[in-house]
Amino acid sequence: MEVDRADGRNPNQLRPLACSCSILHRAHGSASWSQGDTKVLAAVYGPKAGTKKNENPEKASIEVIWKPRTGQIGKPEKEYEIILKRTLQSICILTINPNTTTSVIIQVVHDDGALLPCAINAACAALVDAGIPMKHLAVAICCCSAESGYCILDPTKLEEQKMKGFAYLVFPNSILSVLPEGSSLVQGEPMEHGIITSVTHGAMSVDDYFHCLERGRAASAKLSDFLRRSLQSKLPGDLSKAE
Amino acid sequence: MCREDGSSEVQLGQTHIMGFVTGQLVQPYRDRPNEGTLSIFTEFSPMADPSFETGRPSESAVELGRIVDRGLRESRAVDTESLCVLAGKLVWAIRIDLHILDNGGNLVDAANIAALASLLTFRRPECSLGGEDDLEVIVHPPEEREPLPLIIHHLPIAVTFGFFSSESLLVIDPTHHEEAVMVGKMTATLNANGDVCAIQKPGGEGVLQSVIMQCLRLASRMASDITKKIKDALLLIESRQLGSEMVETYNTERALRKIKRHPTSITLDGSVNLKEKLNEPSGHNVVNELSRKHLEKPRLASAENASSPGNNGEGESKSSNFGRSSRRDGATSNFVGGAASWDPYSRGVDSDFLKASLASRGTLTPKKKQQDPTGERKPNESKPEESPGDVIPTTSAMDVSETGVHKGGEKTLKDAVKPKHKRKKKAFSSTADAS
Repeated sequence: MEVDRADGRNPNQLRPLACSCSILHRAHGSASWSQGDTKVLAAVYGPKAGTKKNENPEKASIEVIWKPRTGQIGKPEKEYEIILKRTLQSICILTINPNTTTSVIIQVVHDDGALLPCAINAACAALVDAGIPMKHLAVAICCCSAESGYCILDPTKLEEQKMKGFAYLVFPNSILSVLPEGSSLVQGEPMEHGIITSVTHGAMSVDDYFHCLERGRAASAKLSDFLRRSLQSKLPGDLSKAE
Repeated sequence: MCREDGSSEVQLGQTHIMGFVTGQLVQPYRDRPNEGTLSIFTEFSPMADPSFETGRPSESAVELGRIVDRGLRESRAVDTESLCVLAGKLVWAIRIDLHILDNGGNLVDAANIAALASLLTFRRPECSLGGEDDLEVIVHPPEEREPLPLIIHHLPIAVTFGFFSSESLLVIDPTHHEEAVMVGKMTATLNANGDVCAIQKPGGEGVLQSVIMQCLRLASRMASDITKKIKDALLLIESRQLGSEMVETYNTERALRKIKRHPTSITLDGSVNLKEKLNEPSGHNVVNELSRKHLEKPRLASAENASSPGNNGEGESKSSNFGRSSRRDGATSNFVGGAASWDPYSRGVDSDFLKASLASRGTLTPKKKQQDPTGERKPNESKPEESPGDVIPTTSAMDVSETGVHKGGEKTLKDAVKPKHKRKKKAFSSTADAS
C-alpha cells in the first residue's frame, strides 16, 4: 500500500547517509554519522588501564557516555548508554585486552528521528577508526509500524511521533569474505540475519514486528555496504593491495 | 522542515567547539522583574581530552564558563530587557550550551566565539499578548510568525595570551602543548569598539605593565578582526539564503547582496532565518556551504554557480584584509600598531584559524554543487546520495598553516587540502573543472 511520507520517500527508502571519520584530533578514534538531519558524533578513547568496580576484570570493558544536545543528563540518556554498551560489548572481542576500559563518547548534534540507530552506527565507525578489535560491525536501523500495518524505515521525528510503535534493530554487518566459503552460516541461516539488539517502543502486533524485521534486514544490507565503503576508503593503500 | 537556528560550530586550529542556544519562558528573578536571563553551560565532554571526566565540572570548566559569562553579561552585550514578555511574570531565559568536542588549546576564545555565533543566529518565537485582559501570552510558532533574533549590542571577543618563563616570550592563542608549559596566561575580552569588557589573569608569573598594555593593544586588533569575520560569515549565510532568488550575473548579485546587506549588517537583526551551514576558514576565505533541504535543487544549483564567483570575489577582498592575520611565518608584520621593542610573535599566531560554521544537521548537497568550478569546496562530510559512499575526513585546520600566502581562489583551497583529501575530492567531484 502506498503511503505518503512527508519528505516524499517511499516506505523502504532510507535518508541520505553521510559518514566521516577521524574528525577529532585528541580522541583515538572519532566518527560522525548522519542520516538525513539526524547527526551524531562519536569519539573513542582506546583501552585505558583498569576496569570499574562492577566490571569483570578478566575482560575488556566498554564505557559509554551519552551527551544530549542541550539539557541535563536524565533517564533516557542513561538508557541509551546501557543499550549502546550492551550492543558494543557483543561485537567487540573482549578477551583481547583484559582489564582495560574503552570509552565511547556520543554527542548528539541534532535529533530528527532514529537517534539511537544513528548513534550505534557512529560508534561502530569510531571504534574502527580507533582500531579496537571487533568480531564484526553492526548496522542499526529504525523501523516503525503504523496503525494500518504497513511498516516504514528510518522515520523522521515527526513520523516517529505519529506511529503506533517503532523498533530499533541492530544487525551484524554482512561479511565479505576473500575465501570461497562466503558468509558463515549459523545453524543454517546466514550470520547477518541474526539480531544483535532490538528495542521497541509502543505497541505492535507480532506479525508487524516480524514484518519490520524483514524490512530492516533488507535495509541493513544497504547500510552494511555503505559502512564498508566509507571505512574502506580511508584504509591505507597497502592493505587494500593485500586483499 | 527548517533547521533550528541558534547553533554554531567553531574550529580554532585543533580546538573544536559547538554551541547551542535555546530559550524558554520562565518567571523572572524578583529583583529584576523586567529582564530576561542568560545562562551559560559548558560541557567539557570527555571526547575532547582524555583528562576530562563527566560529573562535576573541573576548575577550568568553571573558569571558562565564568569568563564567557562575564564577557556577555556584564558588558551588556545581550539586551536582556528586550527579553521581557510580561513584566514580573514571564521573561525569556536564554540558555547557551557549549560543548567542547576537541581540546586543541585555548578553549576560552573558541568557546566565546561559539557562544556569540550561536546567539547571533538564534531566533526566538514571537510572543504577543492576547486573551481577555491582554494578560495571556501567546507564543507564535515559527510557521505562523517569523521568529525574532536577539538584540545584541556588541560582540565581546576573548583573546588569550600565554606567558613563558623567558621574559619576552609571549604567544597569542596557545595550543594545548603550549598551555602545558606556559607559566602564566591572560584573557582579555574586548569588542570591536575598543572597549575592554573583561580581563582575567589568574595568578601565574608576574608580568610587566608594558607587556600587559601591549597585550591589550594586540587584543583590540584581534577583536576587530574576529568580529569582522563573524559578521561576514553570518552575512554570507544570509546572502546565500537570499542569493537563491537573485539574478545569475555575478555583478548584479554582488551589488544586490551589498544592498540587502545594509539593513542587516548594521543591526544584525535581519529577519532572515539562517538555515545554511557555513564553513569559512579564515585564512582562505573559502565558503563551504551545504544547502538546505527545502531550497529547490535546480534553483540552488544555479545560485551556487552564480554565487561562487561572488564568493571568490569576496574571498579575495577579504583575503587581503585577513592576509595579515593568517600569516604564520614572520608574523611581526601582522600587528603594526604594537611596539617593536620586542617580538611577541616569535612563535607566530599559532592556531588562529577560525572556521565559524553553523552546525549542520544533514548534508544534503545537490550533486551539482560538487561541480563547483572553483573547486573551492573543502568538504567536511561526504555528499549524500541515495547511498553515498564517500568518507572525507574533515581536514584539520592545521593544514591552513602550510599556506601563508594568498593566491587565487582555486589555489588556496588546493594548498589547504591535504594531499590525501585532494585525492578523495577528485574521486567524487570527478566532473569538477578545477580540481
